[in-house]
Amino acid sequence: MTFLLAGGGGLLSFNTGFAIWILLSLIVFLWVMTKYAVPPIMTALKDREQNIKESLEAAEEAIAKAEKISKDNEKALREAEVKAQQIRKEAVEEAELIRTERISKAKEEADKLIEQARASIEQEKKQALVDLRKEVAKLAIDSASKIIDAELDNAKNQKLVDNFLSDLSKN
Amino acid sequence: MVQALRRVLLTFFFLSISTSNIFASASDASEAGEEPVIDVMGTVADHDYFKTPLGKIYLPRIFYWENANGESSVSFFSSTKKALASDEFIESEEGAIVPAGGGSIKIDFSITSHLLYYWFGMGLAVLLTVAAAKRYNKGVGRDVEPKGTFQNIFEVLFLFIRDDVARENIDHHKADKYVPFLFTMFMGISFMNLFGLLPWGATATADLTVTATLAAVTFVITQFSGTKDYWAHVFWFPGVPTWVRAILTPVEILGLFTKPFALAIRLFANMLSGKIMIIAILGLVFIFADLFGSVAGYGVGIFSVSLTVVLYALKVFVALLQAYIFTLLSAVFIGMAAEDHDHAEEEYYTEHIAE
Repeated sequence: MTFLLAGGGGLLSFNTGFAIWILLSLIVFLWVMTKYAVPPIMTALKDREQNIKESLEAAEEAIAKAEKISKDNEKALREAEVKAQQIRKEAVEEAELIRTERISKAKEEADKLIEQARASIEQEKKQALVDLRKEVAKLAIDSASKIIDAELDNAKNQKLVDNFLSDLSKN
Repeated sequence: MVQALRRVLLTFFFLSISTSNIFASASDASEAGEEPVIDVMGTVADHDYFKTPLGKIYLPRIFYWENANGESSVSFFSSTKKALASDEFIESEEGAIVPAGGGSIKIDFSITSHLLYYWFGMGLAVLLTVAAAKRYNKGVGRDVEPKGTFQNIFEVLFLFIRDDVARENIDHHKADKYVPFLFTMFMGISFMNLFGLLPWGATATADLTVTATLAAVTFVITQFSGTKDYWAHVFWFPGVPTWVRAILTPVEILGLFTKPFALAIRLFANMLSGKIMIIAILGLVFIFADLFGSVAGYGVGIFSVSLTVVLYALKVFVALLQAYIFTLLSAVFIGMAAEDHDHAEEEYYTEHIAE
């Protein structure tokens, strides 16, 4: 069993000196770990986790905000569309109104023109009739004087024709 | 709590299977150890020298001893040979070193190969953690993502211990306090186990003194983190008839000590069995060569070496697994002691007292 006694811990024996070495060095190792090595890592990881958590929350918030803005935008757009529609409708109506107004005005004007034309035609007609009557009388006299010539007194004849003509116009 | 207990039970079950072969291997090994061709026990026992691929480096011997007159003193020698060369110590018939003029060595403070590997393992764990801490202090990993292979692997291990071992088993507001201890244990034991896989290396965790001391530290930490509830459940079971307490209290006190004991034996036995198994299986080559000639040696070699390759892969896994189990059980024990019982459980006990 020499190997059991060769120094240090044997296979199944407990060596006090060895254990003291291990305990002392373990205390040193643990001290370094708890004092210097692990805390910075723990705080760094905690900071990072906090950071990530906050970033995620901020991102979520930003998304919510953006969603709200886009919803608002959509609402505004819809409202604007409705308004545009209304404006267009109004414009169409107004245009219609203006058109009908214009048309009626034009019609009126046209009527007036027609009326004027008619009046002037009437006048012309009357004038023409008067002229015609004069011409006809003259022609009749001329023709009658040619037929009868010396036979009849000019003044007497004139009176006769005038009478006839006035009868004619009465008819 | 139930989950933790189930995990402990499962672990016990698993270990009862995985360690059942140790006794067989050990007896094989001690038989093989009688053979002069290969020294099985020598590869697992502690030594006064540090083996390197190039040769042995003899380590200093430090004795706290008492001579025949009862006077105590401390002696330092740079190696065993020097100790024997000085006239103060001689080698006894069993091979042990004893004071020349009678008396005895009271405490042997010698630096041994296992102690060196213990320092390497634990020291590497501490160094790596300090190196990582420096990176985190610089802001890498805190303000930005962790960069590089080292830091990423480190962080995986660290977060594994913090989240899956410490926070899983210990109350949330207390867990972070134990992370340095648990992480040191996990990394240190892993490195010690893995160093043991080097052909010239020694497995510090295959030494009962090492595992017992580590378990003792766990035990002390567990007891110091015990809450009032914990001690009440050890010594005075609320809501249990008095005569039952007479049985339960001794069992519970015994349980305080069996937990770290199991912790120490489990790690020790697992690491030792693997080592012995490999050396015994490889030893078959030399034994067969010795008994039946070199042809038989070569024949067995094919079988032995291929089996050893598989065992080595298994041992890498076991090295990490055992470190994990040691750490996990430490966390479970600490968690059980440091647990603040919630209100529902208190109500349960008051109900039983009312009965």
